[in-house]
Amino acid sequence: MPQFDIATFSEQIFWLFVIFAILYFLMSKIALPKVGEVLERRQKNIEDNLGKARALKDETDAAIAKYEAALAEARDAAQADIREASEKAAAEQAKKTDAMVKKLTKKTSEAEKAIADAKAEAMTGVAEAASEIAREATDKLIGVKVQAKTADKAVSAIVGE
Amino acid sequence: MAGPLEQFEIKPLAELSVAGIDVSFTNSALWMVIAAVLVTGFMTLSMRRGALVPGRWQGAAEVMYEFVANMLKDNVGSAGRKYFPFVFTLFMFVLFGNLLGMIPHSFTFTSHIAVTFAMALVIFLGVTVIGFMRHGTHYLRMFFPEGAPLATAIILVPIEIISYFSRPFSLAIRLFANMTVGHIMLKVIGGFVGLIGILGVLPFAMLTGITVLEFGIAALQAYVYTILTCIYLHDAIHMH
Repeated sequence: MPQFDIATFSEQIFWLFVIFAILYFLMSKIALPKVGEVLERRQKNIEDNLGKARALKDETDAAIAKYEAALAEARDAAQADIREASEKAAAEQAKKTDAMVKKLTKKTSEAEKAIADAKAEAMTGVAEAASEIAREATDKLIGVKVQAKTADKAVSAIVGE
Repeated sequence: MAGPLEQFEIKPLAELSVAGIDVSFTNSALWMVIAAVLVTGFMTLSMRRGALVPGRWQGAAEVMYEFVANMLKDNVGSAGRKYFPFVFTLFMFVLFGNLLGMIPHSFTFTSHIAVTFAMALVIFLGVTVIGFMRHGTHYLRMFFPEGAPLATAIILVPIEIISYFSRPFSLAIRLFANMTVGHIMLKVIGGFVGLIGILGVLPFAMLTGITVLEFGIAALQAYVYTILTCIYLHDAIHMH
């Protein structure tokens, strides 16, 4: 078997070491660093892109949050404005109603007073006239001169009933 | 008709000798050069563009790189990083040697015990040196596992010593035997094809199957050679 021909060992081993050493040098100094660099660059590129995507997403989220905050603020402000305006309107309305009620009450009481005055005046007029008529009637009918005071008393007694 | 062993013959292409030692450039050396040139060409030309999105060739080179890198990482861990160029060179050299041997009329330098044993011896000595450099005399614990009862030393130590020193032999003989036997089998069965006339289709069909199998063995033995190297490295770095 040629494999066990010891005479060929030295030439085989010599060239094995020479060629293996050269190949080792070429791999370790030229080929493998290049592959490693390309793989690393690709890894870095992927990570960079992922990082960029994450940053953009964060930015978008922040913008959305900001927009929502602004929207909520605007809504609150608008509601406050509406509340204020409606409160103001209600207060003014209440004031106006109050003034009107006061004015009407005053007018009513004035009118009532006027009616009462007129009624009292009318009543005194009627009583005077009644007592005078009563005196004259007694004088003419029975010839008795009744004192004005007595007549007044009698009339007021009847009217007061 | 050439005998089945003729394919293994070492033929000098240029007679050379240094200090009285024969270092002739032979067919074995020629195929080593071819393997080295192809490995270098494959690993450099394919990466020439260094594209972010790899093409077919670059993808193949990257697959080889990551295959060996993962093998080393899984078996040795991060401490094995500095041995990556050696392990990668070893794997590619053996793989291309085995695969080039499948070309008819080529020469399979990995079918020679001188080559496989020289590599195995370098690996064995290197691993032993690494072990003593990392652990000092504590590396001798390799021959007597931690926690074993002292009385078992009389059996365990000789067994461990034998198993340790048989490493280069098992490494060398496994590759040499696989390559040699595969090629002899191809040659013998190939010889039958012409000899038995029309019935030759039967050995031919068999030959086709065995050729496929031999390609598998070529890749598998390169893998086994490399992974055993990784395991020995693991032992040297982490002990058991």
